[in-house]
Amino acid sequence: MTIASPEQRLTVLWERPKGIHGWFATVDHKDLGVRYLVTAFVFLVIGGIEALLMRVQLARADQSFLSPETYDQIFSMHGITMIFWYAAPILSGFAVYLVPLMIGARDMAFPRLNAFTYWAYLLSGMLLYIAPLMGQSPHAGWFSYMPYTDIHYSPSHGMDFYALALIFLTISTTGGAANFIVTILRLRAPGMAISRMPLFMYSTLTVSFVTLFALPALTVACVFLELDRRWGTHFFEIAGRGNPILWQQLFWFFGHPWVYIVFLPATGMLSLIVPVFSRRPVVGYPYIAFSTILTGVVGFSVWLHHMFTVGMSDLAMSFFSAGSMTISIFTTVQVFAWVATLWLGRPVATASMHFALGSIALLVIGGLSGVFTGIIPVDWQAHNTYYVVAHIHYVLIGSNVFPVFAAFYYWLPKITGRMMNERLGKWSFWVMFAGFNLGFFPMHIVGLLGMPRRIYTFGEQQGLEQLNGLMTLGGLILGVGILISIINWAVSLRTGPLAGRNPWNSDGLEWETDSPPKPYATVHIPTVVSRHPLWDDHDEEADPDNDRLLDEARLTLTTTMLDAAPFSVVTMPGDTLLPLFAAVTTFLLLLALVFQMIWLGMAAFVATFLLGCAWLWPRPLKGDL
Amino acid sequence: MSSTLYVPSHEGAADRTRWPLEADFGTYGMYTLIATESLLFVCLFASYFFLNSDDRWATDQPPKLTYALIMLFVLLLSSFVLGWGEKQAGAEQYGAARLALWLTVLLGLGFMGLQYFEYGDHWKTLTPMSDSYGSIFYAITTFHAAHVVMGLLMLGYVGILPSYGPTRVPPYRPYHVAALYWHFVDVVWIAVVGLLYILPNLQGHVRA
Repeated sequence: MTIASPEQRLTVLWERPKGIHGWFATVDHKDLGVRYLVTAFVFLVIGGIEALLMRVQLARADQSFLSPETYDQIFSMHGITMIFWYAAPILSGFAVYLVPLMIGARDMAFPRLNAFTYWAYLLSGMLLYIAPLMGQSPHAGWFSYMPYTDIHYSPSHGMDFYALALIFLTISTTGGAANFIVTILRLRAPGMAISRMPLFMYSTLTVSFVTLFALPALTVACVFLELDRRWGTHFFEIAGRGNPILWQQLFWFFGHPWVYIVFLPATGMLSLIVPVFSRRPVVGYPYIAFSTILTGVVGFSVWLHHMFTVGMSDLAMSFFSAGSMTISIFTTVQVFAWVATLWLGRPVATASMHFALGSIALLVIGGLSGVFTGIIPVDWQAHNTYYVVAHIHYVLIGSNVFPVFAAFYYWLPKITGRMMNERLGKWSFWVMFAGFNLGFFPMHIVGLLGMPRRIYTFGEQQGLEQLNGLMTLGGLILGVGILISIINWAVSLRTGPLAGRNPWNSDGLEWETDSPPKPYATVHIPTVVSRHPLWDDHDEEADPDNDRLLDEARLTLTTTMLDAAPFSVVTMPGDTLLPLFAAVTTFLLLLALVFQMIWLGMAAFVATFLLGCAWLWPRPLKGDL
Repeated sequence: MSSTLYVPSHEGAADRTRWPLEADFGTYGMYTLIATESLLFVCLFASYFFLNSDDRWATDQPPKLTYALIMLFVLLLSSFVLGWGEKQAGAEQYGAARLALWLTVLLGLGFMGLQYFEYGDHWKTLTPMSDSYGSIFYAITTFHAAHVVMGLLMLGYVGILPSYGPTRVPPYRPYHVAALYWHFVDVVWIAVVGLLYILPNLQGHVRA
């Protein structure tokens, strides 16, 4: 190739092919990150609509807007959608988009795996949503306790879709975790030692390891469930000398670490956003980093607190109660670090900062109610009431949805290249914040009054009507607040002022790139000499000998794990349709298993394997090395 | 600490060969796969002991050891053969490496054959449908067998890879990556034999 300027050469090398083929074949982490974000946001909207349907049913006593069966299906789909297909994937979306930019790499370590995990995520969601289209949704809540899910009590295909869609999602999430681990450990820019990584890298790295260790329990549980339901085994069936509690053990061994998987990356984003809008470096960087890691580790010793009412030895209960309270210390460390950053800085009240601070407030409330439920006698009282619903929503909306909105207001100018309306953003925040508290705070009260969760209606004489009406109103207001932000983004996409490289005067490497970034990110792989590359005097792209231009092929630079000293140059794969095809055949494999079509399943497995072989087959490089 | 940190400099700057063209990501990727797969088996074993915790199983007859021990020997032997092959591949003795690889595949197929007879023997008294002991026994061994199949497919794939392809990367890496997986499958079988076969036979009964 003889193209004059390095920029042109890099563009030719890294740009995806034109047209529909390129759209499906792209392995660019920026394309895939945006798709993750959009898909996860669509699932948020779907899950939100399901929530509003439930709130309409519960707005007044003795309503019959939804039948009990429909209500069961809708609350189950709401939980499953939000927990599995929204909360973690939206954070993966930010990570897929931002991690390579933040560490100065040209792409993820396994770009084709990255494409596969996105398509697998999308198709697993579609597999799940075939169920409601057939009128046979899962109906046993997001944690689907046995024996509700036994074939005798749940003869429809709903639970089969649940089990197999989750196995599919597990494949996707595990692949993503492996990709993040290798990317963050080996692709950091020269000089970005482990002590200089942005804190978001610590949280992404931690949850990726947690994913590797926690998700197999869910896979095993879902495999057992499917075998019990359709293939005659007896893992959970008392009559077959099985044990239904085994499901709970496996599910929560996965389930509680999962809570931190949907929580830690969001705190990592707050640890980047709060300092930028406090106009100073974060206070207590090492403390935040260590408490992030410790949250991930100790997160494995709390799962039994979901099962205090099951019956177990005092020793086991004490241990897990202590574990549950210990873990709040690490979150507290982070909260105090943010507060100290604010205290010592000169805060700027942007829309993003509004969401970040609101998130901290909600997180503290949700965290406190979590400490209460970690105390065994309180837990026995509050178990399966709306108190738990209030807790989970304060924690998940406070530590996931609000940080995600903060992140959208902070990073969308980088992604779209256009600024958003700050005033509308603040309006959106206040409406959401008011609606959320109006909708969810009364749940603490009705819970303590004894209103059980997952109940499709309540009686007029129970005295719950007013508070429930308030909750429905709050839910609708929350929805309006979200709608304001959606409108804001849509308008800014067309008419927002151009953002430029670094609209917030931030410190991270991602702000060194154009907005939106070029396919190759930066012309020269940057070098880093401090924790705040854009706030120090060092010129990250200075490269007089064009050592780090790497424009001979799709190349990027690997570095050593701890010190980030340059190690080698690696070739990156070109754009290909194979990951999409492999995801489609995996989809067919699992769809076949839902209906026990053995031969279709076998054929799909063989096809997936052959696609994998073609995927890994050595092929010539793009470019002329 | 800070003295060991890399400080970028332009002194003595370089030609294109300053950094070698080399990717060891595959090895790292395989480590993550092995980490997550290990936990898969940990969960399976934990389920085994959980189901066994309160005397609920119908049978108390420990599974026969003979086949399991022969299978253990076959798999261990295959791992040693493959380990020798890795050494050859590292020393660029590709012929010997390829031979060791196909020998490993043969031993793996032998393992699968033995498992077929072992199942046939067991099936007379125990099926996955008989009770939760049967379910978990067959689940663990079948999960392992599925991993053997995956390992064989991987090894077979490496076996047909061209010696040096257009990427100009020696085939040592894919060889090494597939071998790592095979050793893992081997180690899992040691755990399976120890916990599901040897332990009950030492106790004289299956129930805890």
